[in-house]
Amino acid sequence: MSLPKLFSEQNQIAQAALNKKIFLQGEPGSGKTTAGLARLAYLLENGIPAEQILILLPQRTLAKPYYDYISRTPLPPGGVPTIVTLGGLSQRTIQLFWPAISAEAGFAQPHQPPLFLTLETAQYYMAKVVEPFLAMGYFEQLVIDRNRLYSQLLDNLNKAALVGFAHTTLGERLKQAWNGQPQHLILFDQAQECINSFRNYCLENNLLDFSLQIELFLHYLWRSFLVRNYLQTQFRHLIYDNIEEDAPAAHDVIGEWLPVFDSALLIYDQHGGHRIFLGADPQSGLLLKEFCDEIVEFPPSLRCPPPVRQFQSAMVKAVQRRLTIEDLDGAVKTAFTHLPARFYPEMVDQVCETVDQLVHQEKVPAGEIAILAPFVSDSLRFSLMNRLEEYQIPARSHRPSRSLYDEPAVRSLLTLAKLAHPHWKMPPTREEIRSMLVHCIEDLDLVRADLLMQMGFTSKGHSFPLRPFDEIGADGRERITYSAGLRYSRLRDWLLNYIEQEEEQELDVFFAFLFGEVLSQPGYGFHHRLDDATVTARLIESIQKFRQVIEPIRSRQPGFSVGLEYLTMVGQGVISALYILPSEEEDAVLISPAYSFIISNRSVRFQFWLDCGNIGWWERLYQPLTHPYVLSRYWQPGRVWTDVEEYETNQQSLMRIIYGLTYRCTEHIFLCTSRINERGAEERGALLLAFQGLLRRLHQREAAHE
Amino acid sequence: MNNRHQPRPNQSQILNYSGGWMGVSAVPGSGKTYTLSLLAAQIITAGLINEEQEVLIVTLVNSAVDNFASRIGSFVEQFGLMRDMNYRVRTLHGLAHDIVRERPDLAGLSDRFNIADDRDSDEIVKAAVSGWMRSHPEFILEWTNPSLNPQRNSDLPKKWEDLLVKLGRAFIRQAKDLQLSPQQLRDLLNSTHYQHSLLQFGLEIYETYQRGLVLRSLIDFDDLITLALNVLKTDADYLQRLRYRFPYILEDEAQDSSRLQEEILRQLAGENGNWVRVGDPNQAIYETFTTASPDYLRRFLKLKRVKAYDLPDSGRSTLSIIRLANELIRWTIEDHPVEELRNALTPPFIRPTPPGDPQPNPPDKPDEIYLYMKKFSADGEIKAVVDSLKRWLPEHPDQTVAVLVPRNERGSKVVAALKDAGLPVIELLQSSQTTRQTAAMLEKILKSLNKATDPRLLVDAFKQVAGLLYPDGSLSQHTLQQAAHLLLTNNAPENYLYPRTENNWLEDLHQRDDLSEQVIALLENFAPLMRRWQQAILLPIDQLILTIAQDIFREPTQLALAHSLALLLGRTAQRHPEWQLPQLTEELGLIARNERRILGFSDEEPGFNPDDHPGKVVVATIHKAKGLEWDRVYLISVNNYDFPSAQGFDRYYSEKYFVRNQLNLEAEALSRLKALANRELTALYLEEGIATQQARLDYCAERLRLFYVGITRARRSLIVTYNTGRDMQGNENSPALPFVHLQKFWEEYRRENSA
Repeated sequence: MSLPKLFSEQNQIAQAALNKKIFLQGEPGSGKTTAGLARLAYLLENGIPAEQILILLPQRTLAKPYYDYISRTPLPPGGVPTIVTLGGLSQRTIQLFWPAISAEAGFAQPHQPPLFLTLETAQYYMAKVVEPFLAMGYFEQLVIDRNRLYSQLLDNLNKAALVGFAHTTLGERLKQAWNGQPQHLILFDQAQECINSFRNYCLENNLLDFSLQIELFLHYLWRSFLVRNYLQTQFRHLIYDNIEEDAPAAHDVIGEWLPVFDSALLIYDQHGGHRIFLGADPQSGLLLKEFCDEIVEFPPSLRCPPPVRQFQSAMVKAVQRRLTIEDLDGAVKTAFTHLPARFYPEMVDQVCETVDQLVHQEKVPAGEIAILAPFVSDSLRFSLMNRLEEYQIPARSHRPSRSLYDEPAVRSLLTLAKLAHPHWKMPPTREEIRSMLVHCIEDLDLVRADLLMQMGFTSKGHSFPLRPFDEIGADGRERITYSAGLRYSRLRDWLLNYIEQEEEQELDVFFAFLFGEVLSQPGYGFHHRLDDATVTARLIESIQKFRQVIEPIRSRQPGFSVGLEYLTMVGQGVISALYILPSEEEDAVLISPAYSFIISNRSVRFQFWLDCGNIGWWERLYQPLTHPYVLSRYWQPGRVWTDVEEYETNQQSLMRIIYGLTYRCTEHIFLCTSRINERGAEERGALLLAFQGLLRRLHQREAAHE
Repeated sequence: MNNRHQPRPNQSQILNYSGGWMGVSAVPGSGKTYTLSLLAAQIITAGLINEEQEVLIVTLVNSAVDNFASRIGSFVEQFGLMRDMNYRVRTLHGLAHDIVRERPDLAGLSDRFNIADDRDSDEIVKAAVSGWMRSHPEFILEWTNPSLNPQRNSDLPKKWEDLLVKLGRAFIRQAKDLQLSPQQLRDLLNSTHYQHSLLQFGLEIYETYQRGLVLRSLIDFDDLITLALNVLKTDADYLQRLRYRFPYILEDEAQDSSRLQEEILRQLAGENGNWVRVGDPNQAIYETFTTASPDYLRRFLKLKRVKAYDLPDSGRSTLSIIRLANELIRWTIEDHPVEELRNALTPPFIRPTPPGDPQPNPPDKPDEIYLYMKKFSADGEIKAVVDSLKRWLPEHPDQTVAVLVPRNERGSKVVAALKDAGLPVIELLQSSQTTRQTAAMLEKILKSLNKATDPRLLVDAFKQVAGLLYPDGSLSQHTLQQAAHLLLTNNAPENYLYPRTENNWLEDLHQRDDLSEQVIALLENFAPLMRRWQQAILLPIDQLILTIAQDIFREPTQLALAHSLALLLGRTAQRHPEWQLPQLTEELGLIARNERRILGFSDEEPGFNPDDHPGKVVVATIHKAKGLEWDRVYLISVNNYDFPSAQGFDRYYSEKYFVRNQLNLEAEALSRLKALANRELTALYLEEGIATQQARLDYCAERLRLFYVGITRARRSLIVTYNTGRDMQGNENSPALPFVHLQKFWEEYRRENSA
């Protein structure tokens, strides 16, 4: 892969001496990652063995440019550079040195291998641990979904590990900052108790959730001369990108490690820190400057054109209520268009019409358009996707942190799993099968699927409820159409064939075969749907991971069906699709929460900011059992979190979003407002107020010039 | 309504307001909405507030919210400003929701908290009550009327259950208004060592209820208010921020303010803030159902620091009707036989508008007043009203008319009779028409999705949606019927919605000469919608409903209702994961058929304007009729059961024949609860029956005001009747005492005048 033509500062960074440590900072889009890639190329070209290069990132998705580069560039023979997050590095090192630390770290079965938990599987075990507490009336006064309860408890553990304090002090820290009703305080004690129990359960069963992985690395491995020596000998050159999105624990380790590296390039994005909820700490990242030989700041962003930049600065000032007409010049108007609507659906229509115009009249590639909102509900996604489909515009969506069960593709797959495993005694209902058939068989619409169910469904006295297509009367067959019948028969045969084998396959294997042999084939619904394929892959991966860590339970219960257990857990919403990434398809309109779009760190020419009045643009996600700011390094224990802090952090977060989005917009922004929101109410959040402020000043400016 | 006219001198006094605390007593029809809206607009346009600040208007019901918002919007627009900014109109619940929604953490909630619907609450309380009845058989024995013969009263357990559910809910509501959690209540009981089976009952139901809410991740509407107040008291910085945001608070219908409402607004306004309270203590009619009381407004008006004004001029009614309403006030104050009821109504008296006023009173026609003292049977009264309307309607096609009833059940009977007589009816009863229509519309669409092959269901859905496809009203009935007929006779809907080349139904229609283009266009427009919804059936139920709603509804109320319905069904689906579309559709049907009430921020007619419905009979409860007016009003069932006057022969709705000693259990329980909360030991140990007596007085006072509200709904013509009814014991009702008095007064007045 060839890199774009480099400007001089990029060249200087790339070709810096092989013993130089550089701290590179700049706006998003100013070419820093390209400089990082150029540096990687330079290192390799200059004979640095690839395996000596460590590329550290705060999150897997941010590694994409590096993976792309490596996969498309012929490397010299030998190893490949290690691209990893702190979590990944911890996991690898733990695997290597497990026997050396397991007993000391307090694991009950030090001679057994460790089981690494994903967020999902950690949630599963957390649910198991918390269940008896719930039965005792814990968290009774708290109005919260179960899976959110579990994820907040895990969040607390992770924050303790990443910020660097003992998990046993979590409850106390949260209590000290609490400013609400005193009866809420007991919940923090209860949370602490559950957290302690979970940690003990993990130690007893060799389970390593993310927090334990980090703690083992920090407190045992990184402290061990042997391990540190191993790591420091193996990796001699560092490229550490997006350090502003990483946690203090990672910054600490790198701070200690930097003097030992031969060379290092640390890349810091100004106005970043979007992952605060996951422990990001730009402040501690900035401290790494001190360990570098040189600090370089790149000139302003190349991607963000001057009018968008003006719009950015005007909006940020408007949020702070500091915008005056003198701050504006006429060019700012070319950066944005206001799409005002009375109602939410009208807004959705307007957005899709405008996208249609861009794609079909102005020939803008669909991949250059992003539709962004504070949240993307199922209904919003469906409405957008469906309308764009009518305009024949490809679209994809990105909605992390949702329950897998809410994905239509997952529901269809689970219905198929129920059909194929009659011995689970969970027969799917007629409606479930009908929906599944509509979803899975291309060209089978709801009316024909209904017909098929009327004529082909037998619920009583049969373990398999689907009759052969041939047994349906000729008239019915004709109405359903023979082509749909053929596909139905093939799917039915596949299922029957599986049942006849009499041996239950692992659920992931079952889905993999079903997907590969039937559903992904031409004529079936998954063949064309980008998102569905991604979701299926995610489901399979999720089951695999679940299967790997369920061993401690499986080994104690003969006849335990992992598939059935998984199905039950998904049904209860315990298992969420925490990592669903958008499909790789580039040339499709992206529909995404604004935050996820910023985190994915790519830019587009056109952005639509949906529902600007939504208060979700401004306010943080409330989490009654955890707190990203109180559990950060800079929060003084004992201080009380009041509305002043709340207001200030929300203001900061809105400004960060405005920066984050505008830096990733290379041409134009459409601000979409709706007088009446989805719930039929008027909403005037801070983004809308700021935008109104901008419009008002522009109006005043024009009036003054007339 | 959007035109500004020269305010009356009394209105100007109020419009001169620039800050501080002000209280206004406004008589019915005095233009208080107009004055208050204009005041809000004035504050905004005079630059008294900053860009990011808002005038907060708090009112009682959602229908008033729309009304206020559009009035202020149009006033503001006349000043050349953006119509939606710088003011916020909310009901108290809406405001509480805003407060909690912005900082749920302070209330100990997560940001996705849900509000329990009537269905949720009912389900929990019912379960708790039946549990209690099973485990405490002695409770029923203790309170049942010993003279009842159980053999002859086999429906007694059911009646007890209904009463206890009502009692349980009233107890919970009162406890929440007193800001007592179940635990605090238990602690109080333990510390006083006081034992009483009604308190024990209430406490246990309350405990089970709160647990039930938590299990379902819900809070109820009463919690919302308490939590909002707690939040304001918890974080001084947040309160400060809200005070900055709302530098002016204008409160409408302040006579129906409750202690907590007053407290919340007092907190928001602050001691040095700007707070205007407008209301009519004579129209306080929500005490029985809520913890509201006109005393809060009365006390406020008497505060030294409060500038108090009257708005006594009203151009709504004829002089005769005003005369009657004023006589009711006078009689109550001076001549009511029960001393304690003499403050139920208070001045100001209503004054007709001065000459030259833009809203002159209608020309007086004393002949249009009928105070009919005839002894009707229950059915006879309705028949008389129907007969009268049959004569009147054809002669007055351009006038508006309403039949006002004291209770929903009575209203349903009137509606049925009017329908039987073929008269056009609009119903404003228990749940609003909009709620039922919205639910019915969604139900029909879901039913068709359920059985996609059934042409009849497809036609049902089509009929619901077709009108909405032509919001300009250009769709003719003939076109609709023709299109519906075509759909009905097409036995293969797939050839319509998903045609193949060889079987394209719409294509075939194009070949026919007998069909108009409109018919085919209508069918062509409907198909893509139906296809989209059919594709959406894989979505979770709440999202499916939202998707459909967003496609068909444009009214904020309907969107809000659809949203509440979506959430409600979403929760139902969570509780019954095995339920599929048919069961969930059935649930929607219950709401549509009015068997299940849906409580929400918007269970109101959206800005119902009687003037939009001339020539039709509106049937409403007097409560629902508040704030509305008609040319002619029939006020029926004005008897001593629905409007008692604390006379020895009166009987009371809340005193059940199967409860011993004619006790009002709710009053007995609540008075003890209040005494316990206030630690008034003497009140706690008061003997049985005293609370029942006091409740009678409160009820009588409120019913007097209800009568007043009923009379003042009429512009030109008023008919008042009563019926003898019959209770379980066969007792007959007599006319209500104030009615008897007004009838005599009117007779004398007419006699004198004719003489």
